[in-house]
Amino acid sequence: MAYRIAEIELTEPLTPIALTPEQAGLAILARWKGRLAGFHMASAAPGYIFSTDEIQALCAKRFGRRLIALEVEAALAQRWATDADAPVPSLCIAICTKDRAQRLARLLNSLMPVIGASRFRVTEVLVVDNASVDSATRDVVAGFSGLRYVFEPCAGLDFARNAAVRHATGNLLAFLDDDVVVDRDWLDGLFNAWRGCPDAGGFTGLVLPYRLDTEAQVQFELRGGFGRGFEPKTFHAASADNPLHPVGSGVIGAGCNMAFDRSLLLSLGGFDEALDTGAPLPGGGDLDIFYRVLRSGRAMVYEPRYAVYHEHRETLPQLRRQYWTWGLGFMAFLAKSRRSDPALKRKQSAILRWWLLDKLADLGVAACRLRIDELRFLSAELWGGLVGMAGEYDRSLQRVQKIREQSS
Amino acid sequence: MSSASWDIRHVDLSDRQPAVAANPRPLFVVFWWGVLPLGVRIYLPEQLPLRRSELGALTAELASAQLAARSPRFCGPARATYDGKPLLLVPADTLQEGGDLLKQLDDFAETSPISAAPLSVVICTRDRPEALEHCLTALMMQTSRADQIVVVDNSTHRSAEAVSARFPDIDYLHEPRPGLSVARNAGVRASKGALIAFTDDDVEPSPTWTMEVVRAFSSAGVDAMTGLVLPARLDTPAQCYFQFKMGGFGSECVPLIFDRRFLDETKATGAQVWRIGAGANMAFRRSVFQRVGLFDERLGAGASGCSEDSELWYRLIADGGACLFEPRAFVVHHHREQWPELRRQVRAYMKGHVSALFVQAARHRHGGNIRRIFRQLPGYFARSAFLALRDGGGARRFQILWDEIVGWLCGLQYAFRPRWRARPVEMPASPNLAQSARQSSL
Repeated sequence: MAYRIAEIELTEPLTPIALTPEQAGLAILARWKGRLAGFHMASAAPGYIFSTDEIQALCAKRFGRRLIALEVEAALAQRWATDADAPVPSLCIAICTKDRAQRLARLLNSLMPVIGASRFRVTEVLVVDNASVDSATRDVVAGFSGLRYVFEPCAGLDFARNAAVRHATGNLLAFLDDDVVVDRDWLDGLFNAWRGCPDAGGFTGLVLPYRLDTEAQVQFELRGGFGRGFEPKTFHAASADNPLHPVGSGVIGAGCNMAFDRSLLLSLGGFDEALDTGAPLPGGGDLDIFYRVLRSGRAMVYEPRYAVYHEHRETLPQLRRQYWTWGLGFMAFLAKSRRSDPALKRKQSAILRWWLLDKLADLGVAACRLRIDELRFLSAELWGGLVGMAGEYDRSLQRVQKIREQSS
Repeated sequence: MSSASWDIRHVDLSDRQPAVAANPRPLFVVFWWGVLPLGVRIYLPEQLPLRRSELGALTAELASAQLAARSPRFCGPARATYDGKPLLLVPADTLQEGGDLLKQLDDFAETSPISAAPLSVVICTRDRPEALEHCLTALMMQTSRADQIVVVDNSTHRSAEAVSARFPDIDYLHEPRPGLSVARNAGVRASKGALIAFTDDDVEPSPTWTMEVVRAFSSAGVDAMTGLVLPARLDTPAQCYFQFKMGGFGSECVPLIFDRRFLDETKATGAQVWRIGAGANMAFRRSVFQRVGLFDERLGAGASGCSEDSELWYRLIADGGACLFEPRAFVVHHHREQWPELRRQVRAYMKGHVSALFVQAARHRHGGNIRRIFRQLPGYFARSAFLALRDGGGARRFQILWDEIVGWLCGLQYAFRPRWRARPVEMPASPNLAQSARQSSL
């Protein structure tokens, strides 16, 4: 089961869209005057042809109101008195990569043209090679001009991110994972987010699917994927709408596309190297840094224009493993926060109960409806969570200590 | 969250430099575009002051809903979906034409004066003279005064008489038979205007309320209207719980049309007519009562508990009428201050709701109402129990859930009272019209 991804510019006339016999649905990525305006997945029979009327009706229902909002936003910029803009910060872009030279090249190909047109002063693009086993990564970097290559011998994503924090220059530091490709509006989006809230401690952006060619990729996206919607949001240390905030920091964004005030990262002591270590604990690092930024009193801004396309897991076993790591990473993060930030003890306990009951209820519903894949995803996540609760963070601390000793 | 006390602020986003400033206490903010209410949002002190990015995103979101729902160029006037949300379909080519959207919003917020003369305002009250005084004071300060204000005193000892006498030109009426529906019907009989508006003694109408009520009827197709009901204060846990956890009297701020289509689309599963509005802020054309009858005296506070208003809307839209929710007409309501009062109110609400469902099922033969009593409501209780368990929130949520279940059980008594269910609705005394109306209500 695959979905066809169709990018539609809504200011232009629509045309029918035909699916191939392998495609069981259409994913519309809508733009309005070049700006990302919405994403919607519609299932259909293989080989189905969506007529222009059908596409128009879908767009009217799913994106119509958003289009008005985009127009209003533009008009407001004219109408509202503008504050004096803060001086534009400089920006360093860091890509942490490990043994994925091809994907790195793909990302760099999408990134370089975007940087050329930036309103930020981009100080450098830093590729942090996270203990790759061969020289392929170095070779790719050599093929582009103006990149800076840093080798981080300690294997683990947050080791690599901390290496970036140490080596980077510039006021803002944007992180990209190697399995994404940036949207042409990516840097403009980040600029927009910064200008709307210059005192924010961090920024996150939209993560769209790079392709939907396999069952696993479609299922992941249908279950919500990394999507956080097309409305910008600002997060603070507390929220009137969500009493568990900021402990449930997953709503803020995803680690594959985030940026921070670099001096804030330095003062927070960087990323927690015992999280996001790659196997066996490949998660939780982003939750932890979002949480700590908010707890430091600085805001986090989610901006949909600051968008990347992520290559989702290809096979169902990989996807199940990803859900397992979500459960594991979240619980490891929670275990850490309970220790390091007892002031929010009540919220931390409440979210534990919330998470368990929520997953169990979903599991019950999936079981009643005999949705086998769903059951397996949920049980993987739940199992990961239970393992995470059972001392995974401490085990990870010990492993990380060993890695540090080996490399020094 | 619901234990703190909240400040209420009003912010006009059509200003050149709107702002929501820092505040030591949590804020309940009502956002406006001139006289148009756009929406409400809540903020903790940690979230304030609002950044420019937040205000921009929020304004875009709220204004887009308002434009889509009001502008005939998009999909205005908006129809209501089953759950009382606007159905907003905006084809991209309608935006291609360009045009200044903010100017259009300014036009919608225009306030040409309109005379409230055709309006009779009926206030039913029972032993709350102090609250009534505030309500009448607000009615005296209207931009355009209604021709007639009727106070229906539903107390045994005429407790509202002295207060009413202190205000000029009030038609005071004593209706000793208990029940809000009985009192409202007495008010209808005493009223003279072509439009009859209702409000309650615990409500304070905004200064433009009467004008906006009359304006809502400017389209001939509108038979009834409801308006926005905002909290007057959020000082006690009971008031906060009612507003935040139970949704208050709704906070939707775009106009909505509820008509026969709304009923047809949803009657199989029980049309959610209570989404139309609140009895604290509603009005009807006089002809509605002649068409479909008066308030059902079996229902409402003092009788079965509540829902006499929504049952009348049900009859009206089943008869082909249309009800417009127009948030421009807004009032503030004093929620119950004390927890025991709120719990009593919740029980009465649920009991009244069930009784109205029985009445609607019997009158219109719409099985969806019965389905709601025996399937959806138990499902709702189960879900509420799960959410209370999952989200926490302490004993309060379980107490309220318990009260809802008790109210539901009390309401089930009407299942065993076939003669109660079969009673026809009372028509206003106007023989020539009553005849045709009776036919249409059957």
